[in-house]
Amino acid sequence: MKNRLKVLRAERSWSQQDLADRLEVSRQSVNAIETGKYDPSLPLAFRIAEVFAMRIEEIFLKG
Amino acid sequence: MVVNIEPAMRRSFTAGPVFWGLAMFVAMGAIAALRIVGLIDALASLALMLVVGPAMIVPMMRSANRLAREKGCGIPAGRRYTMRMGVSSAAYMILLPVTLWCWQHFRPGTVVTVLLALAVVLPVFGMIAAVARYIVEETDEYLRHRAVNAMLWGLGAVLALGSLWGFLETFQLVPHVPGWAAVPVWAIGMGIGQLWMGTGKR
Repeated sequence: MKNRLKVLRAERSWSQQDLADRLEVSRQSVNAIETGKYDPSLPLAFRIAEVFAMRIEEIFLKG
Repeated sequence: MVVNIEPAMRRSFTAGPVFWGLAMFVAMGAIAALRIVGLIDALASLALMLVVGPAMIVPMMRSANRLAREKGCGIPAGRRYTMRMGVSSAAYMILLPVTLWCWQHFRPGTVVTVLLALAVVLPVFGMIAAVARYIVEETDEYLRHRAVNAMLWGLGAVLALGSLWGFLETFQLVPHVPGWAAVPVWAIGMGIGQLWMGTGKR
């Protein structure tokens, strides 16, 4: 699944660690999600959407 | 638009816990080989194992903790896992040569022999329990996913190598290998799985 995490993070000048702290996960998790190596669970996807104040489908894209 | 290159991606190679774990197995194998070919006696092999084993566990635990900090996962579950695994491994490295030496030199009766076997296998149970507890306690879903994948790699290695060796043994091509070899093979399989996932594969 593709996602816009890296772009959204860069727009806010957040490092991967900054985002990881906000999500209460490891920096490794953020990196794996960003690079498409790992698709987050639904609860984590909701947390990500909450942190960016966006809807899930605006962050995660099909394909 | 500026995107930061993460420090971990630029990190040069430093000896990690997998390196130290594999180094420990190689060192133990070398000591066993020296004993088998008769270059050292039982007491010397016991002394070497007692020194080399714990001496390699310390850097293994330190590198595991450093790795956890570098990867931003200084999460208690990871630290607890490292500690439990370190204690169990140290106990195993000490008890294995001691129990073998006791059995070879005193040839005790059945009850004491069973107790010796239990003494050496308890740390192994401790290692298995440490991995199981980590899976339960890890709150980071990606790290848990990686740990489960690594366990599957270990299980696959045990099943594949065990089956292959079993048939080769049946056909009398290779010598018998004791059942306790399953755990080291499982641990090596887990290590290989972690390395594979670390290369960018899932």
